[in-house]
Amino acid sequence: MSELFLAIGFGLVVASVLALSAVGLSLQFGITNYINFAFGDFMAIGAYTSWTLNTGPLHVNIWVAMLIGGLLVGVMAVLLNRFLLAPFARRFQKLFYILIVTFGLSLVLLNLVSSIWGDEVQRYNISNQAPQHIGPFLFTVDQLVVIGIAIVAMLAIHFMLTRTRIGKSMRAMSDNSTLAMTSGINTGFITTLTWFLSGLLAGIGGTVLGITQASITPGSGETFLFVIFAAVIVGGVGSIYGAMVGAVIVGLATEVAALFIDPSYKLDIAFAILILALLFRPSGLFSRPGKA
Amino acid sequence: MSPLVYYLFTLAFFVFAYCILGWGLNLQFGHGGILNFAYIGFVAIGAYVTGALSLGKPSGGQSYIFGFSLPFPVGLILGGLAACVFALLVSVLTFRRLRTDYLAMVLISLSLVLYDFINNFVPLFGGADGLTNVPEPFADALGLDTNTFVPFFAGVSLLVALLMWWVMSRITNSPFGRTLRASRDDDEATAALGKNVFKFRLISMLIGSFYAGVGGGLIVEFAGAFNTSAWLPGETFLIFAAVIVGGVGNNKGMILGALIVPVLFTQLPKFIPDIPGHPGLILNIAAMAIGVLLMLVLWFRPQGVIPEKKRLSKLPPLSERHRSTGAISAQLTTEETL
Amino acid sequence: MTAPDLGGAPTAISVDSALSCVDIHKSFGGAKAVNGATFSVPKGSITALIGPNGAGKTTVVNILSGSLSSDSGRVMMGDTDITALPSYQRARLGLIRTFQLSRELGGLTVFENLMVAAKVQPGESLMNVYLRPGLVRQAEKESRERAASILEQYGLYDLRDNWARELSGGQKRLLEISRAVMAEPSLLLLDEPMAGVNPALIDRIGGHIHELKAAGVTVLMVEHNLGVVEKICDHVIVLAEGRTLATGLMSELRENTDVVRAYLGGVLDGRVDR
Repeated sequence: MSELFLAIGFGLVVASVLALSAVGLSLQFGITNYINFAFGDFMAIGAYTSWTLNTGPLHVNIWVAMLIGGLLVGVMAVLLNRFLLAPFARRFQKLFYILIVTFGLSLVLLNLVSSIWGDEVQRYNISNQAPQHIGPFLFTVDQLVVIGIAIVAMLAIHFMLTRTRIGKSMRAMSDNSTLAMTSGINTGFITTLTWFLSGLLAGIGGTVLGITQASITPGSGETFLFVIFAAVIVGGVGSIYGAMVGAVIVGLATEVAALFIDPSYKLDIAFAILILALLFRPSGLFSRPGKA
Repeated sequence: MSPLVYYLFTLAFFVFAYCILGWGLNLQFGHGGILNFAYIGFVAIGAYVTGALSLGKPSGGQSYIFGFSLPFPVGLILGGLAACVFALLVSVLTFRRLRTDYLAMVLISLSLVLYDFINNFVPLFGGADGLTNVPEPFADALGLDTNTFVPFFAGVSLLVALLMWWVMSRITNSPFGRTLRASRDDDEATAALGKNVFKFRLISMLIGSFYAGVGGGLIVEFAGAFNTSAWLPGETFLIFAAVIVGGVGNNKGMILGALIVPVLFTQLPKFIPDIPGHPGLILNIAAMAIGVLLMLVLWFRPQGVIPEKKRLSKLPPLSERHRSTGAISAQLTTEETL
Repeated sequence: MTAPDLGGAPTAISVDSALSCVDIHKSFGGAKAVNGATFSVPKGSITALIGPNGAGKTTVVNILSGSLSSDSGRVMMGDTDITALPSYQRARLGLIRTFQLSRELGGLTVFENLMVAAKVQPGESLMNVYLRPGLVRQAEKESRERAASILEQYGLYDLRDNWARELSGGQKRLLEISRAVMAEPSLLLLDEPMAGVNPALIDRIGGHIHELKAAGVTVLMVEHNLGVVEKICDHVIVLAEGRTLATGLMSELRENTDVVRAYLGGVLDGRVDR
């Protein structure tokens, strides 16, 4: 029984990392209506930036480093959209052009990361912590902070989408961008802001992924991307709340399943969930018209 | 044989192999509009199955399935068919209701999982170590050594490539190819003309995967070994780049694409010595260069370096047509009316 | 709700129905787009489907052609229930449609756009491509001849080797209709064939529609321009808020004061409520 609680506990940690990243991916998908296949590499850049700050001569506190990494990736996402992705999306009507461009961007960024930081496995400079008992669960302080960050971020996004003008404009654009444009929403500004938020969440997600996995490699973001895809597809592509729920389902399922099978097949579990979702609920738990 | 000639034959082999890979992806993506981001997975299945079928019983700590010592080209063909079967499973699961990007997401996930699974599940294809010592076709029978095998097998691959080109050009020039391209341009409008778009896409997926499998099989028979380092998901992008650079929907352009992208950017850099202290940097730079090249081609020449050739009607001019049929023309010139 | 009967059908129109739908419902999200539409299209007629914006005309066309599935209701082609058939099978039965925005196959030439539409295509089977090339060649030869004469008839012959994506808006519209004709329809659904084209071309398309009728094709067309409807259509179906408001002849509908007041007036004056 205690093993099960341990697994559930770690599942919640994974779900937190997933939720941050999946919501970041979904926010951008909702606005631009295409999947960013370079999202995993955005995460890697965030992870390595905070690694350099954290372990370099500056010895920045890991959480501060995480935030700086996130902000940097946010700015990078805005610039990449402004000068690369948006021009392609404007010029070509066919979806596959822009998808290939993001796919190509992922190749460029992955190799950029490994040329700058090398291929060796890196770790953050975090002291070893004794796990604390919380009810039946067992968490380290860092894991609790990660869960806390995810909860705060999800609440913040919820309030932004439901209570602020900007958030409402975002939802309007996501539902119908032509209508939003004619109804006086500054779509350019909203698009830029969305890319920034998506990049910010990718950067933070990359760092917390590195913290919870206790390792950073150039490819870990790309590998994780497809667990994010599983969460997003389970929840319904483009649905923010779907991404949150999908993250919890996939996070818990992969960790609990690891009790019964060899943990090296965790990825296959995530994929099995993705396939089941496709078979039984192809448009996701929170499907939205026109997005699938 | 001088090392240079040896290299050239090696490069020639890779051009032929990548042509086959490119034609397969071109049928799926260039003609069928299917964004198969898992293409390299189908190549890998062909390579593993061909290798495991050509090898004898596992020995010396190796482990893999099959081990039937099948002769060339039986293993190769079965490798292609194995990729086909896998494609059938994937297509039936995903084709019916998925939008382009949804499908691409599922496929890219699939290639990662396949990668992970083959890497971890040692009894299947040797795990991360992969297959080694795959017999060189005809090497024993003809008494070939390492030096003579390379030019010999480059020649064999040329023959295979020529055969596959002939088969492919019949497909793309047929009414089947035409309807497939129609579904690429607008699937709903094509369905409204009475075409079962799913069937056309499925067939193009299967044939393209067969090409992927055969290309992979040739690579394993040439190299004698295959493992997960040979098919990182980024390799799919390489073949996409070759297709796009060579010209989407253009079989001849593929030869140029196969020369420029995989050979120039990945095979050639392997022969450039590493910069001391920066292992792998050259390969990283080559990969980035491919990404940038592809974006530049997409922007400046979206139809590829050699654009898709127009399939002309070869109908006579209107005046001649009427001379032959004797009909009276009440034809208004289109420019005037529209 | 049933449509008010506006008197017997005129003798020129056969009472046989080529296409009919019964109690079609369709909602998107919470919004009801079609709410019980019921009507039939007389065989051999040119029938107009009219109604204000938001009446659900295009949705009905999409449901009739099978591009969209309805939430409930039935679609019949003659005596055959085609409700469950996907769009490509309906097309094979002779139910061919065009789209409101021209959907040219841009990466094909104009000629190929027509060739794709040919009904008999042994060359679409790869078995035939390799094993029976003679059969494929013969079918292609027949289709070529047919395509050539249709292209000529629609004034597109000189553009035959242009990429379809390079055509002007009006040319794309003609291509769309000629491609539908190439598919040998017994029943043609035209979704606003006159939208956004110049008056000369409107007359020309009208002429082509009459040619089709003469050749025995039943036509159902969505149309906004009532002048056009009066000129070329012999039968009208009025749709409002997803329901069939009335069916009959244009002249009969004009005499129906309810319809005029409630509906046609608004359309004629250009007062569109949504």
